[in-house]
Amino acid sequence: MQRHSFQSLIQTLQAFWAERGCLIDYPLDVEVGAGTMHPSTFLRVLGPEPWRVAYVQPSRRPADGRYGDNPFRLGKHYQFQVILKPSPLEVQDLYLDSLRALGLDLARHDIRFEEDNWESPTLGAWGVGWQVLLDGMEITQFTYFQQAGGIDLAPISAEITYGLERLTMFLSRQGSVFDIDWAPGVGYGPVRKQEEYEFSRYYFEVASVDLHWKLFDSYEAEARRCLEAGLVLPAYDWTLKCSHVFNTLDARGAVSVTERVGVIKRVRDLAVRCANDYLASRTRLDFPLMTDAERQEYHERHPVESVP
Amino acid sequence: MNEESNHEYFFELLAEEIPASMHEGALAALRQRLVAFLEGLGCKGDVEGQVRVQSTARRLIFRMGRLPPAEADRTDEIKGPPRRLAYDASGAPTAALHGFLRKNGAAVEELVQSDDDYVRLRRTVTGQRTTELIQAAVPEIIQSIHWPKSMRWGYGEQSYIRPVHSIISIFDDQPLPVKLFGLLSGTVTVGHRTLAPGPIEVTSYGDYVSKLELARVIVDSDRRRMAMAERSRVLAHEVRGVPALDETIWAQWQYLTEYPGVVRAEFSPELLTLPEEVLVTVMRVHQKQLPIRDAAGSLTNSFLAVTDNEADPDGNAAYGNSFVTNARFADASFFYQTDRKVTLESRLDSLEHLQFQEKLGNYRRKTERIEQLAGAIAGTSGVDVDDARRAARLSKCDLGTEMVKEFTELQGKIGGIYAREEGLSSPVWQAVYDHYLPVNAEDALPRSGVGAVVSLADRIDTLCGFFLIGAKPTGSRDPFGLRRAAQGMVQILLERDTWHITAGMDQLIDLGLQGYADVREALHAAASEKAEKGRKRAATDRGADDRGEVLEFIADRVRTLLQAPPYALAYDEVAATMEAGWMNSLPDLLERAKAVRRLRSDPRFLSILDSAKRIANITAGQPESELNRNLLAEPAEKRLNDLSEVLVGQIAGMIVERHYELALQSFAGMADELENFFAEVMVNVDDSGIRQNRIALLRRVGGAVAPIADVTRIVVDRRELASRK
Repeated sequence: MQRHSFQSLIQTLQAFWAERGCLIDYPLDVEVGAGTMHPSTFLRVLGPEPWRVAYVQPSRRPADGRYGDNPFRLGKHYQFQVILKPSPLEVQDLYLDSLRALGLDLARHDIRFEEDNWESPTLGAWGVGWQVLLDGMEITQFTYFQQAGGIDLAPISAEITYGLERLTMFLSRQGSVFDIDWAPGVGYGPVRKQEEYEFSRYYFEVASVDLHWKLFDSYEAEARRCLEAGLVLPAYDWTLKCSHVFNTLDARGAVSVTERVGVIKRVRDLAVRCANDYLASRTRLDFPLMTDAERQEYHERHPVESVP
Repeated sequence: MNEESNHEYFFELLAEEIPASMHEGALAALRQRLVAFLEGLGCKGDVEGQVRVQSTARRLIFRMGRLPPAEADRTDEIKGPPRRLAYDASGAPTAALHGFLRKNGAAVEELVQSDDDYVRLRRTVTGQRTTELIQAAVPEIIQSIHWPKSMRWGYGEQSYIRPVHSIISIFDDQPLPVKLFGLLSGTVTVGHRTLAPGPIEVTSYGDYVSKLELARVIVDSDRRRMAMAERSRVLAHEVRGVPALDETIWAQWQYLTEYPGVVRAEFSPELLTLPEEVLVTVMRVHQKQLPIRDAAGSLTNSFLAVTDNEADPDGNAAYGNSFVTNARFADASFFYQTDRKVTLESRLDSLEHLQFQEKLGNYRRKTERIEQLAGAIAGTSGVDVDDARRAARLSKCDLGTEMVKEFTELQGKIGGIYAREEGLSSPVWQAVYDHYLPVNAEDALPRSGVGAVVSLADRIDTLCGFFLIGAKPTGSRDPFGLRRAAQGMVQILLERDTWHITAGMDQLIDLGLQGYADVREALHAAASEKAEKGRKRAATDRGADDRGEVLEFIADRVRTLLQAPPYALAYDEVAATMEAGWMNSLPDLLERAKAVRRLRSDPRFLSILDSAKRIANITAGQPESELNRNLLAEPAEKRLNDLSEVLVGQIAGMIVERHYELALQSFAGMADELENFFAEVMVNVDDSGIRQNRIALLRRVGGAVAPIADVTRIVVDRRELASRK
């Protein structure tokens, strides 16, 4: 098995998926909890346009922070996200090939796909799939998206989400995430530990509850203004900001059980509207990501569909 | 069927990994449909034996053997017009008959003689070829399997449990094309995903099984299970231990694999200081791993994990499983340390932030109600009231701990463990630990009276609350687990004498509803407001309705539970004895039902039944009246009266002593005299005084065993009973 750093793992996966026709996208510059929230996933899985993409997404989960003390848990971790739309029948084999590209001789390991369905109440989205276990350890979430923003999807997208730190730890036989190499000779610990500590303190102890509630209200209002103005992409950015502010308040222990349901609903309402408006806007633009042949075939199949 | 029934059909569906928990249900449904198909084909005898169904992590497989070449020929009869309309006076066919024949494409000669007043056509229908029937039936059968959560894939045109890759359909070594999920069946499959992923061409089921075995797929799920069980035993033995016996883990492992393997791994020994319940739950539920215990039964730091690969030459699977289990336990260890920085009792106030149910308030309020209830139930029992109240007060405190947030299935147990470590008394911590018991009909009951009382209090509160707000279970939907809550109460109350608990179901419901006085008032006020707006009729007295609904709901659970093992009473035994009362004592109900059960196979039971029935019939609808000895005239009625004066009193005494079988036997002792009475004495005479007096006499006799059961509800096979005489 070749020795991997965090960085070489990413490079290998990017090269692998680029060769399989994926566009290489870049992380969203807004705080998100998962790669799924990147517009390259949440919005692109809507509607008939084909889409193959791979990208790294730093994912912030305030409540998961452990001040840099826990060898396995991080308040910010990195996901490698792949979307294949429509899902090809050989998608599991492609995925296994990506593990082989990382130097794994799969016949000498245990690989299993165990049922694990995914649901995001804030995004009005759900999917069906597995967690992929490599030698008993979860390294990937594998999901066939069924619905996003409350909209039934067709075609269906396959989402593959690699947990990059986990995978690097396992491949380099390290017992703590802070002991892996980011790049040869540069440790993940020295690069990230201070950040983990400071953000844990910030999210758990320091963040201003008052300010964050105000931010939530303001971001929500701005998202609505954008939607009124027909600007769905800015609206979606503000929706994601609402979601992150909510996660911060949650980690801070500032959301009671009763409030929780209501706040999640406010974010979901925005996400559902963004999804619907995005689909409408792509329809108006006549699906720019389709080839002429695909577009023609689509219109033949959906002759009566009017532009909303 | 003239030709021999020696044909074979074989089917494989290759899909992506099917959730392990769904295989058994799907296989049972598939088997049932296939057996029905064979019966439809005319197969008789051991039809079950003709069908084999199997599955692996990503395959559904079945084989049907001893198939006839075609469905049996059958004779159809078609009913025509009435004979009198079919022929005219001269006996010639009418227009109506011609119309009937035309419709069926038949000639007059095909009409047959029949015994009734209609003309009939009889014709022999040649059975369809088995191959054709299979081609029509198999796609429908496969698609009809109910999966709890299906999905779409690709362009979203197909829906099934997971994407389907290929289908094999072979009849007697020849491909038999079927179309499913947009795929045409063939004869090619693939081997194990990573060990032998190439294509494999097969010609029959036998060929398939042996070729797949070479390609690292064991088709027979029982064989996979046995291989893993044996390997587990050997691996555990190597460290002088035994694997925990765990059917639920085996059942999952066999469907998570195609080529079964087991590895042994270790976690850091210092983690053994965590409570055993936590270690076992993390391994079993979260990691699907099997703990290893030493000869003395203590948990060791070795455990077993499933692999879909027979070997682990580099120790990768052992390493990975150790890694992930250590990580999980490290989290648990962190929770265990931080949780115990405060006492359980100090968590009480924070329960205010934890909602029980929107309309029923938070867990702090629920705790207050449970405490009140537990105190009241203990007050009439041989259970210490202070212990019961204390345990009830602490029962929900663990819901705020990190440990329970992470491992919800440990609720109750974690509270009990923390209470024990705080040094609380055994009755208290055990009651906290046990108060979710019993979880199902097979589960153990709380180990002490305090635990039983808190469990009852918690359940009756939940039941009454949800019924008050109208959240009753409907059909198979029971999102709040109310059936289980009620069943648990029944299980505990059946054994209540163990703890000298005296409360009956009726009292518990009254107590439970009292706890919700405020909620009822609020609901009542809301209903009145609506009524004032003229949208609904004024709220009536809901209290009586709620009580009745809860009682009826629990009565259903009593019936279900008593008819299931270990009681296994018959429907009529339960119905007859419940008719004589059940809600103030379930142990008493059980004894009465058992007495009826023992006696019903006794030939004397027929006399009991006949007597009771005759008396019930003749006295039905008659006014109540006093028995007057002086009005007794006939010798037979005097004798019956004399006998009943002695026996009815004795029977009453036996019932008080709960000698129900003896009471029923004594009742049978009046049968002969009753027989004479009915033979010699006329009840329905004109003299109303005498008539009423005779009815009063019969009522006294018939009423003697009424406190035990309404025996007229027992259904007997007379011939069988009589033959035993």
